Amino acid sequence: MSVLELKGVTAGYGHAAAVRDLDLSVKAGEVVALLGPNGAGKTTVLRTAVGLLQPTSGEVRVFGRRLGRRVEKNARAGVVLVPDTRAIFHQLTVRENLSLARRRGDLDIDAVLDRLPRLAPLVNRRVGLLSGGEQQMLALAKALLARPRVLLVDELSLGLAPLAVQELLPIVRALADEAWTGVLLVEQHVDLALATADRAVVLHHGRTALSGTAAELRADREAVRKAYFGDHEEDELVLAEDGAPLHA
Amino acid sequence: MDQLVLFVTLGFAVGAVYAVIASSLVAVHAATGVLNFAQGSIALWGVWVAAELGATGTLILPIGSVQIADGPAPTTVAVAIGVASSALVALLTHLLVMRPLRSAPALSQVVASVGVMLLIVSLVPLRFDTTGAVAAPILPSGTIEVLGAQVAVADLIVLGLALTVAVLLAAYFRFTRWGTATRASAEDETALRLTGWSPDRLAALVWFTTGAATGLVAVVGSPSIGLDPISYTFYVLPGLAAALIARLRSVLVAAAAGLAIGVFQSLLMMMSTYDFWPVWAQAGFGETVPFLIVMVALFVFGRSIPERGGVQTLRMPPVRPPRTRPVYALVVVAATVAAILLTEGSWRFGVVTSIIMMLIALSLVVLTGYLGQISLAAMAFAGTGGFVLSRVTTEYGVPFPLSLVLPALAATVLGVIVGIPALRIRGAHLAVVTLAGALAIQTFVFGNPAFTPYEGNLIEDPTLFGLDLGVRSGTVLTTTSFALMVLVVVGTLTWATARLMRGRTGRSFLAIRSNERAAASVGIDVAGTKLLGFAFSAFLAGIGGCLIGYSRGQLSVESFTVFVGLTLLCTVYVAGITSLAGAVVAGLLAPLGVLATFLEGTLGVGHLYSLIAAIALVVTAVLNPVGITGSVRQASEHLIHRRTTRAQL
Repeated sequence: MSVLELKGVTAGYGHAAAVRDLDLSVKAGEVVALLGPNGAGKTTVLRTAVGLLQPTSGEVRVFGRRLGRRVEKNARAGVVLVPDTRAIFHQLTVRENLSLARRRGDLDIDAVLDRLPRLAPLVNRRVGLLSGGEQQMLALAKALLARPRVLLVDELSLGLAPLAVQELLPIVRALADEAWTGVLLVEQHVDLALATADRAVVLHHGRTALSGTAAELRADREAVRKAYFGDHEEDELVLAEDGAPLHA
Repeated sequence: MDQLVLFVTLGFAVGAVYAVIASSLVAVHAATGVLNFAQGSIALWGVWVAAELGATGTLILPIGSVQIADGPAPTTVAVAIGVASSALVALLTHLLVMRPLRSAPALSQVVASVGVMLLIVSLVPLRFDTTGAVAAPILPSGTIEVLGAQVAVADLIVLGLALTVAVLLAAYFRFTRWGTATRASAEDETALRLTGWSPDRLAALVWFTTGAATGLVAVVGSPSIGLDPISYTFYVLPGLAAALIARLRSVLVAAAAGLAIGVFQSLLMMMSTYDFWPVWAQAGFGETVPFLIVMVALFVFGRSIPERGGVQTLRMPPVRPPRTRPVYALVVVAATVAAILLTEGSWRFGVVTSIIMMLIALSLVVLTGYLGQISLAAMAFAGTGGFVLSRVTTEYGVPFPLSLVLPALAATVLGVIVGIPALRIRGAHLAVVTLAGALAIQTFVFGNPAFTPYEGNLIEDPTLFGLDLGVRSGTVLTTTSFALMVLVVVGTLTWATARLMRGRTGRSFLAIRSNERAAASVGIDVAGTKLLGFAFSAFLAGIGGCLIGYSRGQLSVESFTVFVGLTLLCTVYVAGITSLAGAVVAGLLAPLGVLATFLEGTLGVGHLYSLIAAIALVVTAVLNPVGITGSVRQASEHLIHRRTTRAQL
């Protein structure tokens, strides 16, 4: 069953549409990687899926119901976004951040800290004093505490060392496998994203340029390259050693 | 020693109100980013509701009333309903006014909260019988002896209440999840929504709670402090001073500072009874204390006072450099001359007052509309001009028109002094400084018998080359020669201002309004230009004050109170604070101007003027931030655009 469904969604900013007529679905327990170059509309999809942005046409359905306009209500219903800005509060301590995310009947803070042991000794530290990796870990911990049924993750690897990313993505995978959370993962790090996801969708100029299982896309790098750059055959996608796409 | 203790404790009741207002201001700022100028007025409403219930058993509502008891209502009922009224007013202020303005520029938020403050202050004398009203005792009337002095138990209880409120508020923010979420909302509202919290609900809770707390301390303290239709409103200034000392962060520090200010003012009162205390410092010195504290606090802590994060800030209303169109100017001048010649009596006085107020409105357009510096002190500068005019004409015989220039220069000096804090602070904080400065000038200078004698400030009539330009002649209330003189002076200064705003200076003003750092990066002297703006604006207001002086023949402080200044700000904002046309319309709408004459003389509802102005301000701030002239311009541009498009098709 699809926990998240976008049907013919067009959304954007002012008169500029960043996403056009997009169909996308995520099933329970499935990780879908959303890939594409800068400006493809990946973040817009996530913002629309959580209710921060209203589609100009089409609809977003969560658990079969139309998504409400109130972001906080959507979050309480289990649609959780970890944005690229991390949505954490720098003036508060780690514990205070976590206590805000926890609601009645949710996981215990200590249970989450068991999964993220590097965060445990830092619980009483002000978040502004944490490193980028630790802050990202906290953002993920906040999301875990809310027991998401749909998890939307934007650029988890942004500004982080490869080791830190390798520590975080398995947690996302485990959430889908163990708690049957549907995950939509926006990631520039193509190799890592494809290694984590079940399926992948490549966006180009707000439209689906390519979709398939992660295994299919891993096997056909040429198709991914073309989808990234559309019809501009002269551009060449080079994957760096760590898998991140680079322009030649 | 016992006298010292006595005066320290005498400051407890007022200090407690300052403390609860200060801690409420910090809490509301944390929850919404708003500096609520109406916090004192919220207390004022509760105090009067409770007093009326205590006296007659009638619950007075903004519209209508309900008889709760046949005679005086029981004290507990009166206090409870008074407190609930304050809480409800605070909640409605949030829901109807401040929440729609959550992403608006600081100017809109400041004028909206000033509008609410004026609305309540205008409503109180209309709805309550404020003459001779006395608050019935609420707390035990006994005294206890402390260090040899008899201290009122009631004052100690009020003090205890204020401190309890502060401790509870601090505990709420520090130890509860809701309080933690409120602190988080100050940092990033969108992130808080994504975490599943509604910043609006948290804000509503804080508004309601602080409204109730402020109401409680003020109602319970009112028998000690006294009933007054205004004073509680201006308790917001010491409250703001204390909140700024606490850098808008700590509720407890704010409360302690508020209490200290109240006690300090009481000690100043004690000092004023001693022989060595100078005569000039005997009146109004206590009111200048908050101003000095605000100045120092903002200078010392200015950059570490938190700004609101996370909410996208809308831009100020658009400005267009004025175009000098001789035909339009001639039409306006001809219409004004016709209005002067065709009217007489109170109507001509209204026309002349409108012309003068247009000049003071222009000073606000230049400073706030063009330069982006929020000033609430325009009438104080005008008053300075008026009072200096009285001195230079009666004591030194300075002839016209030099008698206009010298007082205006005095106002200019004062403008620069009040403007100095603007070099470090901006937005709502600057509004606090200018309001505190205006109140300090009003009480310490205008209301000080050492500077302004009780017998009034007479002003010699102006003459030029033997021509009498005096305002009165026999039974004529306003002479044609005086009206035309006013028109020439105001017209010339308006033309000069338009020229100045079109040129390099005007562009520098707009650049600073838009982005100070970007302005500095292209070589604009930001500090110098800001001071120039304050100086020029104060000069215009000073000339306006002189003309008001000449039009009255004798000045009193009532012409230049902070309320007149705030009402003028309302009218300028309603008219359109970013255009010269806005100043013209503001002149027509201003106190004692053409509209006021119409309301008083034709409709007989002149007493509703302040209320109408305040309602118009709040509605404009929420629904139409570009003002009357701005919306007219937008509509005309829309029409022109449609016609052009059709013609092209």
